Amino acid sequence: MGLLVWLESLPLSVWVHESPSIWAQPTVLTFHTMGMAVLVGASWVLDLRLLGVSRKVPLSAFHWVFRTVAISLIVNLVTGVLLFMARATLWGAAFPFLIKILLVVASAATLLPIRSYVLRNPDQLEVSGQARLLAIASILAWSLAIASGRLLAYTVAG
Amino acid sequence: MPSITSFNLAHVHMLLNHVPTVGAVVALGLLIVAFVRRDESLKLVGLEVLFAIALLTLPAYMTGVAAFQKVRNQPGVADAAIRLHQDVALYGFTWMEFAGFIGWVALWQARRRGRAAAGMVGAATALTAVALVVMAQAANLGGNIRHPEMGGAVAPAIDSAEYLAAKISYVMVNSPWAWPASETVHFLGLSLSFGVLLAVNLRILGVMKQVPFGDVHRLLPWGMLGFVANLITGMLFFVGQPGQYLDSAPFYWKVVFLMIAGANFLYLTVFKKAWAAELNLADKSMAIVSLFSWLVVLYAGRMLPFIGHAF
Repeated sequence: MGLLVWLESLPLSVWVHESPSIWAQPTVLTFHTMGMAVLVGASWVLDLRLLGVSRKVPLSAFHWVFRTVAISLIVNLVTGVLLFMARATLWGAAFPFLIKILLVVASAATLLPIRSYVLRNPDQLEVSGQARLLAIASILAWSLAIASGRLLAYTVAG
Repeated sequence: MPSITSFNLAHVHMLLNHVPTVGAVVALGLLIVAFVRRDESLKLVGLEVLFAIALLTLPAYMTGVAAFQKVRNQPGVADAAIRLHQDVALYGFTWMEFAGFIGWVALWQARRRGRAAAGMVGAATALTAVALVVMAQAANLGGNIRHPEMGGAVAPAIDSAEYLAAKISYVMVNSPWAWPASETVHFLGLSLSFGVLLAVNLRILGVMKQVPFGDVHRLLPWGMLGFVANLITGMLFFVGQPGQYLDSAPFYWKVVFLMIAGANFLYLTVFKKAWAAELNLADKSMAIVSLFSWLVVLYAGRMLPFIGHAF
């Protein structure tokens, strides 16, 4: 708890939380939302391809997804840390927040086996059953992650 | 400094309220003539007009709610007449969006197969006719609000809680789960739409150059799915708590850029040149405008509680 109190008392945390500036919490939160749209949207496009949408497109054409996901993950990591610091004692002690983080980590983790599958089968059009299962897991995990994140506004920071 | 919210929305409504009825007549006329003449390309024109009308019906409805707030307490304006007009307009809006959606599906199919499926165009035409009938009724009831001297029907006096808009609002405000659940769906929908449009626009900008555009075009119905989910949930928010959006600058910008993004969605669906291997600067600018518009829609939506005062 001492660590959370210290985090929350840092000048940067206080600024994000208390500044009336549009560049403080509103902008950080908005970038977090835009990052989410890019991150989840790009992941879902690849998941849809693995499940058979646009099946004529070779998997190698989707390399841009991994770069896009990497950039948006960094954006959301930075903005997420800022939002956490701003109210560290609140988030740090909230069970629903822990669930959200676990879901985000689980969702992002599905990208690793999906990436290695895509890199191993660049010219392939048919997708293995295992990769399809991964795609379904990815879609569901991101959906739950978004739902749990959105509901934090009601469960924790009401 | 003049702000976008200083527009008199009641006046804008007087302008836009003709779009759904007059537009539906034009779209319906084009589709019927196309059927009679068996003119395939005219069918596509009719469907494109229908899509544009469905898009513009959104601000037509929204400015109407704004006009309601403006005139509701003025002498000579019957509250019941406005509420009845508003309810019928909400039904008309729903039919119009449904017609526009089916019309879009027909356009998407036509782009792939070379011609529109007769059944889909027929369904879109029938739905446009229904939307037109309901909208004409809404227009007639709207005219009664300020022109009772023309001798229109008098709105029956019923409890104001009995109107459809009031019922939706009651559930959205009082149910513990309706608002959070709609927000969750709205976030899922925005991610799906944005992901699909990112992929399609990146293709135009030269990423995935080796892939024929037609293969990327397959993704568009998934973007439409996200858009439909967000239109429904977005309307639930708006009908639920219209007051918190109507004097909110980011909400205005959101709707304006939604129109631009919607027009671009139509371009991505039907434009022939998008299928060419090499795209020129104009096409690439369209892709940039599309991505920029969606980002503005996201930005303005998320900023609603901070620049405006909505949640």
